[in-house]
Amino acid sequence: MTLHAIDLGVWAGDDCLVAPCSFRLSAGENLTLLGETGAGKSLLAQAIMGTLPAGLEARGEVRLDGRQLLDLRRGERRRLWGRELVLLPQEPWHALDPLMRAGEQVRETYRFVAGDDAGRARERTRRALARLGLGQAARRLPSELSGGMAQRLAFAAATAAGGRLVIADEPTKGLDSDRRDEVVALLQEAQRDGGMLLTITHDIQVARRLGGRVMILRDGRCLEEGEAAELLRRPRSDFGRRLLAADPAEWTARATPPRAAGEPVLRAHGLGKTLGGRRLFEALSLSLSPGEVVGLAGPSGCGKSTLGNLLLGLGTPDRGRVERATGLAPHRFQKLYQDPPAAFAPHWTLGTLLDDLLRRHRLDRDRVPPLLERLRLSSALLARRPGEVSGGELQRFSLLRVLLLDPVLLFADEPTSRLDPLTQREILPLMTELARERGCALLLVSHDRDLVRHSCDRTLELGTPLNQGSALTAREERAMPESG
Amino acid sequence: MIATLSLLPSRWLSLPRARRWGAGLLLALLAVAWLLPLVTALDPARQDLMNTLAAPSLAEPLGTDHLGRSQLARMAAAIRLSTGMALVSVLSAALPGVLLGVLAGWRGGWTDRALGLVADCVLALPGLLLVLLLAAIAPGQFWALYLGIALVLWVEYFRVVRATTRSLAASPQLQASRLLGFGPGYLLRRHLWPALAPAISTLAAFGAANAILAIAALGFVSIGLKPPTAELGLMMTDLLPYYREAPWIILQPIAVLFLLVLGCQLLAGREPQ
Repeated sequence: MTLHAIDLGVWAGDDCLVAPCSFRLSAGENLTLLGETGAGKSLLAQAIMGTLPAGLEARGEVRLDGRQLLDLRRGERRRLWGRELVLLPQEPWHALDPLMRAGEQVRETYRFVAGDDAGRARERTRRALARLGLGQAARRLPSELSGGMAQRLAFAAATAAGGRLVIADEPTKGLDSDRRDEVVALLQEAQRDGGMLLTITHDIQVARRLGGRVMILRDGRCLEEGEAAELLRRPRSDFGRRLLAADPAEWTARATPPRAAGEPVLRAHGLGKTLGGRRLFEALSLSLSPGEVVGLAGPSGCGKSTLGNLLLGLGTPDRGRVERATGLAPHRFQKLYQDPPAAFAPHWTLGTLLDDLLRRHRLDRDRVPPLLERLRLSSALLARRPGEVSGGELQRFSLLRVLLLDPVLLFADEPTSRLDPLTQREILPLMTELARERGCALLLVSHDRDLVRHSCDRTLELGTPLNQGSALTAREERAMPESG
Repeated sequence: MIATLSLLPSRWLSLPRARRWGAGLLLALLAVAWLLPLVTALDPARQDLMNTLAAPSLAEPLGTDHLGRSQLARMAAAIRLSTGMALVSVLSAALPGVLLGVLAGWRGGWTDRALGLVADCVLALPGLLLVLLLAAIAPGQFWALYLGIALVLWVEYFRVVRATTRSLAASPQLQASRLLGFGPGYLLRRHLWPALAPAISTLAAFGAANAILAIAALGFVSIGLKPPTAELGLMMTDLLPYYREAPWIILQPIAVLFLLVLGCQLLAGREPQ
């Protein structure tokens, strides 16, 4: 079995969205398409599947075992879905039926797509679930599964009909490193027994772990192609080098030493919080000083966001108290959000929202242009709505919005985890630099330890929450020896 | 109706075709009903027993009824009555419905539970029964009809608004705006209203259609308004005995009722996204 794409491109009328590129994939191989967001990677996957949105057209050739897929009629292509071509859902939550038990979702694929009889479908479902470690979960609803389990379930359902070419589109978006490794292991499963794997990602770690061949895309053009081990060590193209350098593991250590900390703007004493029966943290004390960048790390679900919200007064702790320095207006404690578009009123232009803010706090309008320039934002963006600018631009605009209020504490909750590495490489240093320069304490939450290590003066590590048992204490460490 | 009144010329062309048709239909009917009396003297009550069940003519474009009253005058009066009562019903159902919905969704807790209970109680009563009850208490009165209809209709607004408000109240966008120092008025104006407005205007258009139908149904079974009021349902009952001699007359209130309801439904219809 082989997949051969020849000069495959995606067009909207006369506009070329993805410039023609060619690649070849044989049984047991895997290919990773690497590039930044908006490089047209997802369109390429949709062109192969035949799921391009209306108005877009795939040109060139896609040959699956010699058959020209682009010439097939819609119904004929649809028959290939699941049986030969499999597209893994990006967000498993949206792909699973919330009202159907886990085992049932896989069984119906065996029964109705693969065409097994009832008994055989049941048996194969049992085996598939057991193999993926879901044996105990067959009777559960998707809402009762963890994120990792849901991902494995979606994988089992998608591949049940025996599709040999598995296409994974950004399978690790927004996942922490443990979950990411789980997904990579799952993808390698697809490749077992001579399957083919086409992964589309902006995460270099994923490409590295998957191995096989890698293709770097930019602006819809293929820049280079080669073996993962070789190419990811010494990329030939300039863009490839920049992409690699954007990986937090490769960041150069920060040059500026941390500032001498002044009087803390916020102190917390003996904080404890239990959420949904899980004890997140206990007897946690900390203080944040002006201009200090503090990392907050730990696995997902350990209460990083909850802690930050408590510090901002967006929730009440079960035990302990949070004290702010006296004489500070409430709006000088600010937050940056993980998903930038979710933090804006979607129906108004950014300019309108900015005007609202200036008027509300009677701020000087002249302060905006220099900040726009500093954050490398074009003033043309002000005429657009939040949904019409890129995630990176919107996050920088969020930063502008809070900086106008002269914050003394900024809680940044995974501010770059939804952005691609190049954008992250650009925004995070800017964020820490501005915080230090303006004497604002920055509490940076991230699941990426490398990123925290490179950006922060010290790190607060939260442990895995337990249902019961000993009280958890946060471990604190100084990032830089010279800061001592 | 609310949507019709707030239509600005610049937004007209951006409306889907079905909604443009609906708005056009309603505007045409309203123009006939409200503008004609300004041009000619129309009296829906003046009888001319020498000229009953007349066919349409130049003097009487829609003919006359069994008491020799001008059908044109009576139809215009009936449209004014139906649309006016529908508008008032919709407004008085939407206002408390939206306000209570925002309150319940925003505050949550006991406020939400108490208001939810009241809404469920109202919903447990068949709507027409409530209207009939009020109509029986005060026969032939405008206020009883309109109050009954409003009492039934507010629950829809309440439920839709509460659900939307509740999910928005916990959203990062509201949290972010609150942290930036904005008050409840701003949150309502910039966050809640844009999210609620499409659903409310759709509900209002459907509500208007329902109110028009309810008034006509009550008139038809002679529980609503009393003769000689010109009302669509009442006219159908009155003219029913003459359907053989003058079929064009009984068809008039039926056609107008159909067009009014169709106009409202088209206006409410939203193209699938």
